[in-house]
Amino acid sequence: MPRISHLLSSLSSALGPASARLEFKWMKQAAEQSDKGTSLVEMVERRLCGEPLQYIIGTQPFGSLELLVRPPTLIPRPETEDWTLRLAELVDPSPDRPISLLDMCTGSGCIPLLLCHTWRPGSVNAYGVDISADAIKLARDNAERCGIHVPTVTYGHSSSSFNTFKPLLGNIRDASFIHSLKLKPPFNVITSNPPYITRREFKDLPPSVRDYEDHRALLGDPDISEDELSSHLDKGLTFYRIIARLIANQGILADDGIVALEIGSTQANDVGRIMQREGRLNRIDVWKDPWDKDRVVLARR
Amino acid sequence: MGSPESKHLMKQLSETEPLWNAWQEWTKTNELLRETETLLNDPDPSMRSMASEEHADLQSQISDMVVNKFPSLVVPPSKTTHLSAIMELKAGVGGSESALFLSELLRMYIRLATLYRWKTNTIASNQTENGGIKDAIVEFVGERAYDTLRFESGVHRVQRVPATEANGRVHTSTVAAVVLPMPEDTGSETSDDLFTMDEIRIEVMRARGAGGQHVNKTESAVRLTHIPSGITVSMQDERSQHQNRRRAFQVLRARLMDRKLSQEVVERRDVRRNLVRSADRSEKIRTYNYAQDRVTDHRLGLSVKNLESILEGDSLQDLLDALAKKHQDDLLQEELEMT
Ligand SMILES: C[S@@+](CC[C@H](N)C(=O)[O-])C[C@H]1O[C@@H](n2cnc3c(N)ncnc32)[C@H](O)[C@@H]1O
Repeated sequence: MPRISHLLSSLSSALGPASARLEFKWMKQAAEQSDKGTSLVEMVERRLCGEPLQYIIGTQPFGSLELLVRPPTLIPRPETEDWTLRLAELVDPSPDRPISLLDMCTGSGCIPLLLCHTWRPGSVNAYGVDISADAIKLARDNAERCGIHVPTVTYGHSSSSFNTFKPLLGNIRDASFIHSLKLKPPFNVITSNPPYITRREFKDLPPSVRDYEDHRALLGDPDISEDELSSHLDKGLTFYRIIARLIANQGILADDGIVALEIGSTQANDVGRIMQREGRLNRIDVWKDPWDKDRVVLARR
Repeated sequence: MGSPESKHLMKQLSETEPLWNAWQEWTKTNELLRETETLLNDPDPSMRSMASEEHADLQSQISDMVVNKFPSLVVPPSKTTHLSAIMELKAGVGGSESALFLSELLRMYIRLATLYRWKTNTIASNQTENGGIKDAIVEFVGERAYDTLRFESGVHRVQRVPATEANGRVHTSTVAAVVLPMPEDTGSETSDDLFTMDEIRIEVMRARGAGGQHVNKTESAVRLTHIPSGITVSMQDERSQHQNRRRAFQVLRARLMDRKLSQEVVERRDVRRNLVRSADRSEKIRTYNYAQDRVTDHRLGLSVKNLESILEGDSLQDLLDALAKKHQDDLLQEELEMT
């Protein structure tokens, strides 16, 4: 068995001493609590191969929740945690007038689950749609883990004494998904962290992202072909167009509703314009993340 | 019951209770004394002798109250009995040996906490490769945790042959401890009487490149600065921004609370023109001497044989009791000098 100090020093050369010390500590704690009996040595070795720490540990804190993470579903990011908490404060619905929420591309379910957890009981019925069966299974498991009720029927606006979250398997590029999933618009809040990475950026992603996380969760223009690569089409904006058209054509957003979309740090202008022109939402705000990068486009009528 | 006001009231009541009890006892004893006085001249001789015995007994009770009990009640009751504590430990001179000693001290305090039934929680700790700890922040949650542990602030010194030392020379290493009071509900990001949110600068500590979906490395370190005082708190031990922020706010509140309490003490003393030395955190307070199997507390001027019993927590309790007693005596002294 390799000596601990040896493991730590290999980790140090891979991650730098400061990160190595912290990650080592977290893996050690996880190994001590692991019910699968994963050993520390095994964990460090997997990390040295480039696997994301969160998949090795199996959980990721998100606000005051601790969510399960499983490959290949996207690991919730700190930027998403930050704006979700900010949105929670901005909207803060009351149980007297419960709202409904749609989260497109829900992945682990992190966004609606943290909102359901933060908002007062009985103030929100949330729905999450994702194309990946792994993601939907994970979102369900996370709802259970966080004690958020998963209803068997679709409530629409009907009130209950607790918040609900329903993860649904579906393709948001197929405009009929609202209907086929029996969703009941209008929604008061629409959130999404859709895939937004361009093909060009994709090649330069760190291996821990590119080789481990679902490509469907990352690529902003999934249909683009190799020869269109350098064209103006490669901006990672496909999903914002889909969302904008959905909101415009089907009127699924309540009159006083709000749309919150996570974006890549250079996409604020483009996404703002798409929401105005194609989504017919006039009021656009941009939020920065804690690292001072443009991170969210907020759109209202 | 259960509302914040009623809890507060209960707290106040429980603090004045000793005074009330003493007063009741005093009045009752005096009444008894008057009653027995009338019996001292009773025609019945056996009654008379019983009465005089009782009279003497009551008188000695009363003088005990005057000499011992009341003075201790004159000292204003501690306003901090309900506070939990945060302890910050930092390895000082002695390098890795000092870090090893720190981990042993930490274990000692965690054992002590079990004896007092406090909950402990390591907020931050910076381990070295050979099992030592460079620095640590630990919270102790429970009744009187702060009042009991505050005397542990200062420099702890260890004298022994380090396990790593080949030629058997005795080294002297140090660990510095600071014990802070921990106000209730401390992780929240809301203004209160210790600070307002616009006095706080929140910074994330590392660059993340493009961030968002492009990066999945954990970068959760956070630094808070309390602008008016310049106090900064950095936290990186938790795996999320949010958790590190909560922790950082908790530690910041404890430091500001500590500052407020020591300012209050200084103000009180200034008013009295009293020169009692306030606790100096760079002062050497205790020496753990392995060769002589002895722990010396420099403030008490007291040495305890059997170092192990201190590290196990039991004898440490005795030391802490003695320190609390000394503190009480110092306060009384101060009170008397004032009058
Ligand atoms: C960037 S991830 C976001 C996950 C999660 N909301 C978060 O913030 O961590 C994007 C998600 O979109 C899903 N997705 C991709 N194409 C989709 C489509 N056509 N319809 C629905 N979901 C899709 C992926 O499966 C992935 O879970």
